[in-house]
Amino acid sequence: MSLGTARFLAGLYFVAMLGAVTWPGALPFIRIRPFVLGLPFSFAWIAGWTLGAVFVLWGLDRVEGRYRDAD
Amino acid sequence: MERWVWVTIIITAYLGVTLAIGLAAGRRTSDSVQGFVAGDRSFGLLVMYFVTGASVFSAFAFLGGPGWAYSRGAAAFYILAYGALGMAPFYWIGPRVAALGRRFGYVTQAQLLVGRFPSRGLSLLVAVLSLIAFVPYITVQMRGAGIVIETVTEGHIPLWAGALVAYGIVIVYVLNSGVMAVGWTNTFQGIFMVTIAWTLGLYLPIRLYGGVGPMFEEIALSRPGFLSPPGLDGSGAPWSWGAYSSLILVSIVGLMMWPHLFMKAFAAKDDRTLRRTVILFPTFQLFLIPVFLIGFAGVLFTAEPLAQADSILPFMIMETQLPAMVVGLFCAGALSASMSTGDALLHASASVVVEDGIRPWRRLTDGQERALMRGIVLMVGAAAYVAALDPDSSLVLLLASAYGLISQLAPPVVAALYWRRATTAGVTAGLAAGAATAVFFWLNPELKPLEIHEGILGLIVHIPTLVLVSLATPAQNPEEVETFMSAA
Repeated sequence: MSLGTARFLAGLYFVAMLGAVTWPGALPFIRIRPFVLGLPFSFAWIAGWTLGAVFVLWGLDRVEGRYRDAD
Repeated sequence: MERWVWVTIIITAYLGVTLAIGLAAGRRTSDSVQGFVAGDRSFGLLVMYFVTGASVFSAFAFLGGPGWAYSRGAAAFYILAYGALGMAPFYWIGPRVAALGRRFGYVTQAQLLVGRFPSRGLSLLVAVLSLIAFVPYITVQMRGAGIVIETVTEGHIPLWAGALVAYGIVIVYVLNSGVMAVGWTNTFQGIFMVTIAWTLGLYLPIRLYGGVGPMFEEIALSRPGFLSPPGLDGSGAPWSWGAYSSLILVSIVGLMMWPHLFMKAFAAKDDRTLRRTVILFPTFQLFLIPVFLIGFAGVLFTAEPLAQADSILPFMIMETQLPAMVVGLFCAGALSASMSTGDALLHASASVVVEDGIRPWRRLTDGQERALMRGIVLMVGAAAYVAALDPDSSLVLLLASAYGLISQLAPPVVAALYWRRATTAGVTAGLAAGAATAVFFWLNPELKPLEIHEGILGLIVHIPTLVLVSLATPAQNPEEVETFMSAA
């Protein structure tokens, strides 16, 4: 993956996350069921996006690292 | 022996270990301003991870988090929602800031801004805004520590004594070892608070309801709407989406602009460490899950709602008849949360006052600067302590707007790093206008449209002011701008 694509996708993830946890993007996901690992859906929804951020940033860092090494 | 005595022994042991770590940490740094403020730029991944996590999560998260979940339900989720988003931009900004620090010797945020926008007035403005946001924040940490100790010792150690001992220790190790003490004690305290939070957060729902799922089933049945964002407001009425969403937004913008967090970019060993700290931060953030579980466990546990929602955690600890050992360890966890933020705040306020408020106006030797910083640590600590003893202190109210002021530091930082056409006049005018707007709406909350946070309203005035005044004033000397930008 090129550096530009990786940065774009990572940026997109965080824009989508911001949309998903605030009004109005959060509205379709305001529900209690199904429970996820015992947590109400709205709670797990936010926790899931937070956890996803680790993988997105880690993936971005791998691509960035390749380009830094090439410099 | 009575239970409170055992609890006191455990707390004493915990405080002793913290003090020993704090004092030992300073042995290897240089006796210089760089050493005191930025730890000779030597923090590795382990320390950076915990110093960041433990500084972000304060007594507010450990006591206020359960308090919000208990009294306001899903409104508490906002605290979980902003962390990863607030930290992510630092993946790019952090290494740029660190590079500028290494090149020009910066150790504070204002030094970086003034490096790009030469103005002693701007430096002073940043120092004053930071201090206004810091003092109430430290006050809340001290009060949190005092309340926890008073509760778990069943009143045998009063608030004033608990806060005095805990923060006496903080001041001793910060004075002795500077940021190295903050780093290593936060590592210890971070591990402690995360472990305690996960243990209690899973234990209490299982003990009281038979599991996390069954607990939420019961809450959903008896309190419909309680578990759906945006939850409830402080009075128990449904909260507005405008307030919930704009609080998330202002926290995202403000999070890394807190000087005690921003400055850690100067303390990191290298860029790789900084980036990895950002990548791993959301894993620390998830400790809010058990923190909220503790608060939710209290919802159906108390027959009458507690007058002080923030005491739900200590209240449940005392009411569930846990062994003294567990109570003591819980208390140490809460103290960890309070002290790990309080130490970083005290240290940063001294660094900011001296480096940004005084040094641009008076020449000081390195030794005088360090001495002055230690004096300021004592003064700020004493001022916050006096305020912490007063339950009706209006300072605590100020904290509600701290994010409103701190978020105003974001546009100048972004302009310094990324916009060559920004000028000193533009940045200063924007900062003054943004801060004034935030304060105005904080004082007149009934005028806020859609209950939008005053910090966001401040930014709505701030950003156009910064851009228009910059474009209306002559560009900065291109060579100076180039020297700064090429180092970033």
